[in-house]
Amino acid sequence: MEAALNAPPEWLERIVLLAIPPAARESVAGDLWEACQDPRQYAAEALRTVPFVILSQMRRNLNPPTLMLQGMLIFLGMGGPATLLLLPLLMVRDAYRPISRPSPRRAIRVAVLLSSGAMVLLFLFMSIHPPFPVRGGVDSFTWLSLFLAALFLSPFLCLFRAGLIMQGDRRKPLTAGTLSKDALAQAYERFLRGSFCRNVLEGVALAFAAISGFFFAWDALLVGLFVLAAIYLLLDSLPGMPAALDFVSLRAQYQRELVRQEQLHRFLRWLWFAPVLVALHNRLAGPAAANSLIALLNCVAVAILCFLVAALNHEHGGRVQEEIGDLDRVRESF
Amino acid sequence: MTESLGQFEQIVLTAILALEQNAYGVTIHAKVEELSRPKKAARGAVYATLDRMEDKGLISSWLSEPTKERGGRSRRHYRIEKSGEKALRESAKTAQRLIETIAQTLGGVAWKPR
Repeated sequence: MEAALNAPPEWLERIVLLAIPPAARESVAGDLWEACQDPRQYAAEALRTVPFVILSQMRRNLNPPTLMLQGMLIFLGMGGPATLLLLPLLMVRDAYRPISRPSPRRAIRVAVLLSSGAMVLLFLFMSIHPPFPVRGGVDSFTWLSLFLAALFLSPFLCLFRAGLIMQGDRRKPLTAGTLSKDALAQAYERFLRGSFCRNVLEGVALAFAAISGFFFAWDALLVGLFVLAAIYLLLDSLPGMPAALDFVSLRAQYQRELVRQEQLHRFLRWLWFAPVLVALHNRLAGPAAANSLIALLNCVAVAILCFLVAALNHEHGGRVQEEIGDLDRVRESF
Repeated sequence: MTESLGQFEQIVLTAILALEQNAYGVTIHAKVEELSRPKKAARGAVYATLDRMEDKGLISSWLSEPTKERGGRSRRHYRIEKSGEKALRESAKTAQRLIETIAQTLGGVAWKPR
């Protein structure tokens, strides 16, 4: 075993820590530290190691259905070159997914920034097209409504975000350090049952949405996606409770199932919002977009919808990552 | 069905098997270098292989308590699972058949892989 002759310089370690994706940071940074002989060797070893770790995390977090759906939405909204540029960035961002929920301060800051951005855009627009006298078919009542809506946007988004944070806070941690095999098996069974019920309900809801989408002349691709997702959810058989697994194997199976369910629901959250995003895109591409106010409002609506999906995914994904981390650290009690 | 293993996966699984309770990043990498001599093995390739095999359910991992000699960080320990053991046995049988066939062709029982 290589001996740690020297600790790496603090600044160098900080850079390496930043480069290692969070999911592997603890173990990989520790291994590099343990194998450190001198700063140069440490830097060279980190340079050789980190790209593999990033690629591995990209592969692990790759969610092809979500990526394809995001790609489709980006393609519709921004065209081919933007899709080619943004998809690899999304993959790298997935590799750096945090292993905990976003901090409340950061979450609220994003909500405030988004709503402030929307308000600034609206005020800029108003300064170019003043509401009095009435112009472009937009009356003063509409302007006033828009102004009030923009004012209430910030508290609404903050409340939404705060609600998600509080919902996450109510989750009971699985354990405080130790857990018996039976308790772990019970927790896993509860999770499987909950996932099964949730998937069946969501599958039925998706099927209904697909049927109504058919009547409301949704895009055929979207209806197809809803039908496929509904069939998958209704047919998806969750792994049965393993009979003779020891604590470590049971924990590994629980963690794999947590990841699988989270990947599935990340895709579904985007799928639920996709019809609205596609409808907004169609409006932007249609004759209504000639009215610059409508175009502006559509863009703001797209940004808010993306914020809502991203907030849901960050909060739920972070919670799952925390649970996986808890399981990683839990010891068996007898 | 038994998972078929690549050569590097076989080496990494063998390293975990040999290290028993002490299988974590640093020791696995050292053992892999020893097993794959004279070839060098990149530490990052070992991590990528470990991740891949964990996703396939061939191995499982957990974090230890943080230690001082690692800058206060935990070790990620690995253990081979039943399916990993089975896959490794299959690979060993194939390797055994290869050795026997080569030995018969190249020099009878006196032939040994160097």
